[in-house]
Amino acid sequence: MLWEKYKSTMKITVNEKCSSAYRKSDHMIQVKNLKKNYVIAKKEKGLGGAIKSLVKSEKQTIEAVKDISFQIAKGEIVAFLGPNGAGKSTTVKMMSGILTPTSGKIFINGKEPYQNRKEVVKDLGVVFGQRTQLNWDLRLGESFELLRHVYQIDKETYEQNLQVMDNILGISEIIDIPVRQLSLGQRMRGDLVAAMLHSPSVLFLDEPTIGLDVDGKYAIRKFIKEINRVKGTTVILTTHDLGDVQELCKRLIIINHGTIIEDGPLEELVERIAPYKDLVVEFYDEEAVEHPKAQLHKQKGNVAKYRFQKADITAAQLIQEISEKKSIKDVAIEEVTIDDIIRIAYHRE
Amino acid sequence: MLQTMKHYSKVSLAHLRIAVLTVMEYPANMLGWLLSNPIQFILGFATIKFVVEEFGSVCGWGYGQLAFLYGISVISHALSMIFFVQGWFMGYYVIEGDFDRYLLRPMSVLYQFCFTKFNLVGITDLIPGICVFVYGCLQIDYVWTLKNTIYILVTLVGATFIRGGIYLIIGSSSFWTKSINDFGGYTQELFDKTTMYPISMYPESFQFVLTYLLPIGWVSFYPTAELLGIPNGRFAWDGAVWMTLVVGIIVFVAAAIIFKCSLKRYESAGN
Repeated sequence: MLWEKYKSTMKITVNEKCSSAYRKSDHMIQVKNLKKNYVIAKKEKGLGGAIKSLVKSEKQTIEAVKDISFQIAKGEIVAFLGPNGAGKSTTVKMMSGILTPTSGKIFINGKEPYQNRKEVVKDLGVVFGQRTQLNWDLRLGESFELLRHVYQIDKETYEQNLQVMDNILGISEIIDIPVRQLSLGQRMRGDLVAAMLHSPSVLFLDEPTIGLDVDGKYAIRKFIKEINRVKGTTVILTTHDLGDVQELCKRLIIINHGTIIEDGPLEELVERIAPYKDLVVEFYDEEAVEHPKAQLHKQKGNVAKYRFQKADITAAQLIQEISEKKSIKDVAIEEVTIDDIIRIAYHRE
Repeated sequence: MLQTMKHYSKVSLAHLRIAVLTVMEYPANMLGWLLSNPIQFILGFATIKFVVEEFGSVCGWGYGQLAFLYGISVISHALSMIFFVQGWFMGYYVIEGDFDRYLLRPMSVLYQFCFTKFNLVGITDLIPGICVFVYGCLQIDYVWTLKNTIYILVTLVGATFIRGGIYLIIGSSSFWTKSINDFGGYTQELFDKTTMYPISMYPESFQFVLTYLLPIGWVSFYPTAELLGIPNGRFAWDGAVWMTLVVGIIVFVAAAIIFKCSLKRYESAGN
């Protein structure tokens, strides 16, 4: 009942925000030729090296992010993937106004975060999976109460938002427990609520499911989906968990060595990297048959593995044609796992 | 502007409430400080008592006057501990990426750094400070007229800002060195040696430094000397009480500018 009421009130505010955002730019987030360099002092080995670097320090420039451009529309859920140290977090930190870019432009809702930091962050929710913004010593509710003052949320909206998030995450069960006594999953739920209390239109999540059990991950994903559906929140998340990507994201951006190497829907990436499937066939003897549209990839005893292009032939057809030539005992179809696909994408130059 | 001030003071009050709740969550912690901190300052004062009894006075300062000076010094120390102790630990904030959260909130970072973390443990310093100060007042029969009361308050506000500003400036160096420089111990040592006793007992070159370069003389020595009408060295100014406030504002504004420039070098922390 309340949920329905909430939805209808939210729609109005979302639409209002939406139209003003569109007036400024077509996209919620625009990133153009973004670069970030770090300068680090090079240290040499041993005492001699230490003295040498004291007298004449050698500077080394590390390009954490080199020339990244992309656009994200309102209401999208986009995953940033990439190995550790690829530049994902640096990009997210620049988008949220924590780091100043070396060069390039970022627009969130038409505003640049490093120039209008206060303006931009008002409309931003940020969760870092590895650290919390909750007050460690006190009951969870105190942290929320504090944020109510920081973001100047009026009491009614605050209660309403809390109610909505309670419906999805069951937050009222844990609101009176000190944060230090919460499990990681519970704390993460608390952090998500804290980030969404002021109804931001953009939510950045840096590894939100890290270290969580299956129930925890399920709750977080459900929350992200609901919040995106109901409020139209634009969500950007970095993750190493491909389950997150499969469950949540229509679009995926893979970053490696500071550049974007893939940007598009997951299916498209799968299609491009692995346009084939494997058919494993068990015969009654050790003699496998040939097929013009499938390559005999491996053979061991009376089990043969055929690799075929999805565009050339369907699995059903291939099974039928092989079984016409020779009787088959058993079949299995193997698809390349998403883990393999991502790994191939990381290592491809 | 008025709106912003209202917003900021509400947030500060909310944080003050959090600070009180946190203290109540760990009462034993507070009790520990309550036992150790006053002892440290009372013992410090006992040393002065010994010196005065041996030598009669210090540079023309009698026993009660020294207690008055010591009291101003410890009270302003306590206030600076309540509001600005984070400056001592800025290196940790820089290295561990703790400024991330401040940068993510729609408020001034310096404001959040100074006025959203109240260190109520500082109150345990306030108690011995007030005790020694009141003792000094009684010894010299200080007259509590309205004017004198305002002078004391102005001095304390100025002195607290001088201390806080210097903590911030020293702390801001962490943005440049990118290392955890825990200056707390040194800073306290420096302030103890220069604000608890008359600086006129030091060589003139040193007095010059403490007046103009590192304006610690203004924390307690100059305003107290003026209030009590004691000769206060070669570099004395008239209107030292108000000068303390002016110096406090200058130091703090300088600190704010340095902090702001330094913050641009902030690099967060890798995960």
